[in-house]
Amino acid sequence: MSRSWFELTWLVALRELRQGARARSFRIVTVVLVLAVAAAVAIPAIVHGHRTVQKVGIVGGSSTAMTRTVQTAARIAGATVKVIRVSDLATARAQLRSGTLSAVLASDRAVLVKQAPSAGNASSGSSLAGALAQVGGLSRLFALVPAGSAAAAISHGVSLPILGLKPPLANLTSRLTGLSIAIVIYIIILIYGGRITVGVSEEKSSRVIEVLLAAVRPAQLLLGKVLGMGILALAQVAAIVITYVVLGLAVGSGLMHGASAEVLGVGAMWILLGYAFYCTAYAAAGSLIDRQSDAYNASLPVQLPLIVAYMLSFTVLYADSVYGFYWFLAFFPPTAPISMTVLVAVGVARPWQIALSALICLAATVGMAWVAGTIYGRAILHTGGRLKLRQVLRGQAS
Amino acid sequence: MSEHDPSASAGADGALELLDLRRRYGDVAALDGLTFTVPPGQVFGFLGPNGAGKTTAMRATVGVVALDGGEVRWRGAPVDTQARRDFGYMPEERGLYPGMVVLEQLEYLGRLHGMSAGDAHDSAQHWAERLGVADKAAAKLEALSQGNQQRVQLAAALVHDPRLLVLDEPFAGLDPVGVDAMSEVLAERAAQGATVLFSSHQLDLVEHLCKTVAIIHRGRLVAQGDVEELRRGGRPRLAVRVGGDPDGHWAQRLAAWLADIARVQAGTVFLTLAPGADAQAVLDAARVAGPVEHFAFERRRLSEVFREAVGARVEDVDTEAQAHAEAAATQKGRAR
Repeated sequence: MSRSWFELTWLVALRELRQGARARSFRIVTVVLVLAVAAAVAIPAIVHGHRTVQKVGIVGGSSTAMTRTVQTAARIAGATVKVIRVSDLATARAQLRSGTLSAVLASDRAVLVKQAPSAGNASSGSSLAGALAQVGGLSRLFALVPAGSAAAAISHGVSLPILGLKPPLANLTSRLTGLSIAIVIYIIILIYGGRITVGVSEEKSSRVIEVLLAAVRPAQLLLGKVLGMGILALAQVAAIVITYVVLGLAVGSGLMHGASAEVLGVGAMWILLGYAFYCTAYAAAGSLIDRQSDAYNASLPVQLPLIVAYMLSFTVLYADSVYGFYWFLAFFPPTAPISMTVLVAVGVARPWQIALSALICLAATVGMAWVAGTIYGRAILHTGGRLKLRQVLRGQAS
Repeated sequence: MSEHDPSASAGADGALELLDLRRRYGDVAALDGLTFTVPPGQVFGFLGPNGAGKTTAMRATVGVVALDGGEVRWRGAPVDTQARRDFGYMPEERGLYPGMVVLEQLEYLGRLHGMSAGDAHDSAQHWAERLGVADKAAAKLEALSQGNQQRVQLAAALVHDPRLLVLDEPFAGLDPVGVDAMSEVLAERAAQGATVLFSSHQLDLVEHLCKTVAIIHRGRLVAQGDVEELRRGGRPRLAVRVGGDPDGHWAQRLAAWLADIARVQAGTVFLTLAPGADAQAVLDAARVAGPVEHFAFERRRLSEVFREAVGARVEDVDTEAQAHAEAAATQKGRAR
C-alpha cells in the first residue's frame, strides 16, 4: 500500500500535466507561439526573396562602364537594379543614409553601403554589395592589365572594399537568435510562473490542500506541481524550437548557422535554469493569498527582475558595447537567464563566464527552493486573509 | 464524563485517542486540554456549538494543524504520515478541485493514498455509484449541485477504504435524503470495523445518528458517553397534555418542590421533576385539571445535556461565536 516519496510526487506532477495539457488555453498559447515563430523565420525570407528594384548610385568614372558593372553584379546577386548617376560622394552618402540608394559604386575605388557588412559576409556574392565589390574589382583589374600593375593589384585582393557609413553589427543573426530566445525565456517563465501561482492559490482557496496534505507532504506537492508545469513548459518550448529549426532550414535562413546554434544551446540551458529558479518563488506567492483573483498582484514582485532584464536586453542587443551594469545582471541569478543569453548572443561572454553564472544561478535556485518551500509550507494552510511575507518568515502563520 | 487514563488505553485495537490537545490562536484557546477516545466499530459524534474547537481538533488529527501541546494517537501509536494514509478526511469547507472531472479526482486521491491505478478506478466507480453520482462522474465537479458535490466529497474520503473517517460537519447543507444516504454509509463503515468520527453543531439533529458522543465547549470536553445513557441522565422529564387547556394553565399551580415547567408546546407541558419528587403526584394534579390526553416520560435532548453542563444554550453560544467571528473579520478587513 505504501508508495515511495518520489512516486507520490510524480503522481502530483502527472495530474498537473494532464490538467494543463487538456486546458484550452494551453493549446491556444502553443498555436500562437508556434505561429509567431514561424512568421519570424519565414517572413524575412519571403520578403528578401521578393524582387524589388534597388537603386544603385554611381559616382565618378565612366557611366557606361559602371552601369555595365552594376548590371552584371545585379544579375549575379539576383537583384533588380536601377542605376542613378550621383554628382558627388557627399550627395551619395546623404542618399544612402536616407535609404534612397541601396549602394553606391564610387568609380573604381570602393562600394559604399549604409551598414557595413559583418566580417564573414564582406565579399559574399549573394548580396548586391558583395557582387558589386567583386565585379567592380574585376573591371578595375582588367583595366590595369596593359599597364602591367595587375599583379600588384591581385596581391592586394581583387575585390573592391565595401565601406559602411555605420560600423558592422557583430553577429547580427546570432543577436536576432538571442533576442528570440530572450523573448521565449521571458514569456515561458511569465506564463508558467503565473499558472503555478494560480494553481497553488486554487488549491488553497478551494481547501483541496487539506485533503491532499493528509496524504502527501507540502514539499511533494510543491515539487510535483513545478515538475508537471515544467514538463508542460518544456513541451511548448520544444514545439517552438522545432518550428524554428525546421522552418529555418527549409527557407535557408541564416539563423541556423554557427554562432546562432551556440546561442540556441546556451539559451536552452538558461530556459531550464530560469524556470527552476523562478518556479518555487511563484508557488510561494500563490501560497500567501486566499483568493485566486489576487494571483496577478502576488506574482508581480516575483517577475520584476525578469522584466528589467528583458527591457534592458534591447540596450545591449542593438549597441556596440556592453556596459558594466548589464554584466552584473548577467551574473545576478534573477536576471542571469535573460542577460547571460543576451551576452552570448552579442558574442562577448566567455565559456567560463557562462559556466560561472550558471553555477551561481544553480546555487541560488537551491536557496530559493528552500526559502520558497518554507514559505509555502507555513502559509499554505493559513486561512483568513492574505498573509504578509514578513509574518510568514517570522513563523506567525497558521 | 470520564477522564482519560493512558494506562488503561484501548488504543491498539483501532481506537483514535485525543490526549490533552492544546492549541491557541492569539488570545483564544481553541483547544484547552481536550481529551477523549473514539472507539472503533461505531459512529461517534463530536458535538458542540460553533467555535467550540471541533474543526481544530479534527484538523490536528489529520495533521493539517500543529498542536501547541498534547498528542493524537491511532492504534496505540502517534499519528505519522504513514498512519494518515489510513485516514479519510472531509474538511468543513470541503475541498476538491472545482475544474477537475469527478471520477479522475476520486482516482487521483485513491492513488495518493497508495492504491494502484486499477484499484483506484474500481473504487472511485464503486463509491460514485453507491452515493448516487455515477451519472455525474464524467462531469467537472463545479457543474454539480451543492448536494452532489458533498456526496463526491464523502466519496473522496472513502475511496481508499480508510480505517478511520474524520468528517467535519458532513451533514451541513444536505437535504433529508442526503442525510439518510450519508448516515447509512457511515453506519455501514462502522459495522465493517472502521472508526467513524464526525462533527456537528446541530446536537439534536444528529443524536439519533450516533451511538457515542463527545460534547465540547471552548476547547474542553463537557460530556461524553453513550447517547442513550446521556439522554436518560439528569432529572426525569415528563410531557403531559390535559384536554381543554391549550396553554397548560393547570401546570402553573404545581408546587415548585414537585416540578419545573421547561416549556409549553401545542398544549403539551414539558416538566422537569424536582429531585426525589414522584411523577404520580404530577399525574394526580393533571387529572384534577381535566382529562389527561398524554402522559409520558421524556428523555432529554443532547442540547439539554449541553445546557446543563455549560449553563448556556447551544444556540446562544452559536450566535455569540458567530458575532465574534464577524467582528474579527471586520477588524481584519479594516486593517487591510
